[in-house]
Amino acid sequence: MRRVLLLGLLFVGTAQATDADDLAAALKKARQWTARGQVEVSVFFPPRTTPTRTTNALPAVPFRPALLARNFTVTRGDSEAVAGRPSTRFDLTPKQGAAARWSLWIDREWNVPLAFEERMPDGTLARRAAFLKVNGALARVPVQAVPPVVGLSAVLKAALPGLRLPAGFTPVAAKARAEGQGGTEITLSDGVNVLALIVAPRNVRPAVGVASVRVAGSGGVRFVWLVGNLPDAALKTALANVRQVDEAGLGTFAAPVDAGR
Amino acid sequence: MSQFEPDMIGPERNASDAELDALFAAARAPNETDAGAAERFLAGHRARLAQTQATQVQAIAAPAPRPLWVNRTLVTALASAAVIAGISVLRPTLMPADLPASAAYAVYQDALGEGW
Repeated sequence: MRRVLLLGLLFVGTAQATDADDLAAALKKARQWTARGQVEVSVFFPPRTTPTRTTNALPAVPFRPALLARNFTVTRGDSEAVAGRPSTRFDLTPKQGAAARWSLWIDREWNVPLAFEERMPDGTLARRAAFLKVNGALARVPVQAVPPVVGLSAVLKAALPGLRLPAGFTPVAAKARAEGQGGTEITLSDGVNVLALIVAPRNVRPAVGVASVRVAGSGGVRFVWLVGNLPDAALKTALANVRQVDEAGLGTFAAPVDAGR
Repeated sequence: MSQFEPDMIGPERNASDAELDALFAAARAPNETDAGAAERFLAGHRARLAQTQATQVQAIAAPAPRPLWVNRTLVTALASAAVIAGISVLRPTLMPADLPASAAYAVYQDALGEGW
């Protein structure tokens, strides 16, 4: 009986690893190749006047495979057709926290994504992009060099003492805001979801997915915003103990950067 | 027996009585000097009476003057109220207004990646 149970657990573990590996292979190929055609893109968060539009390629999703494997359980779903092409659905469920969950449809022949879907923790659709029509061949994607960001976590921790990053999220990029705006923008990622952390001289009005706190800075009063597809309570909890900011260290990352892991 | 010697006091007593009678008569008859003194007395009395009445009327109409520390406290409180009121009125212009939520969403939109 124990052997059967152990074999079962081993099989399940192997199956999960295989699903994650299969998805990682598809995402790796998608860095160089992409399908073209007619894509319907719907965005319900952040809110916009016209949520749905049509384009000729899937929008970019900044997947970070290492973080994704750490923070999400990848499960292979049913075989479904997207724009008439056989595909496999992969479901990404966060292992902890209240992050959004994702579904990706991977073309079974080309092994590249044909559709993405992001849902809030309560199941509400946040974003969706899916091919309606697909051209006959893949198109080459220009390779983008991704400079590594080393030490950003430590710098952020020193710059914003008391900041409690939501479960699974880590800083992956930082850049200075436009000269007229002032401040710094830091991108947090859990592998697929992103949060925007902003240090600014002005506050922002609270809204769905937007939390802010007033802090003391070296040059006077500053404000820290946290924006993203998380419950408001999670956003506020992250900022609850932030009292001051030291932007001197963040200045090292002033140039626009975007690092993958 | 009398206690006075008649020979010694008879003529002297008559002279003194006459002088005293004249003196008393002069004293009883009012003259101009007496009238002036009476007028001065009455005028002063009326003046003192009027001053006393005026003081009492003022005391009723106006309360007793406040101690100096009360006046200072009152002035300080009024000045503080004026400063607070001024700050309350001017603060909206001194502190920039909060940005709309769209400013936060725009940053998040940039972080999402191209095409969304």
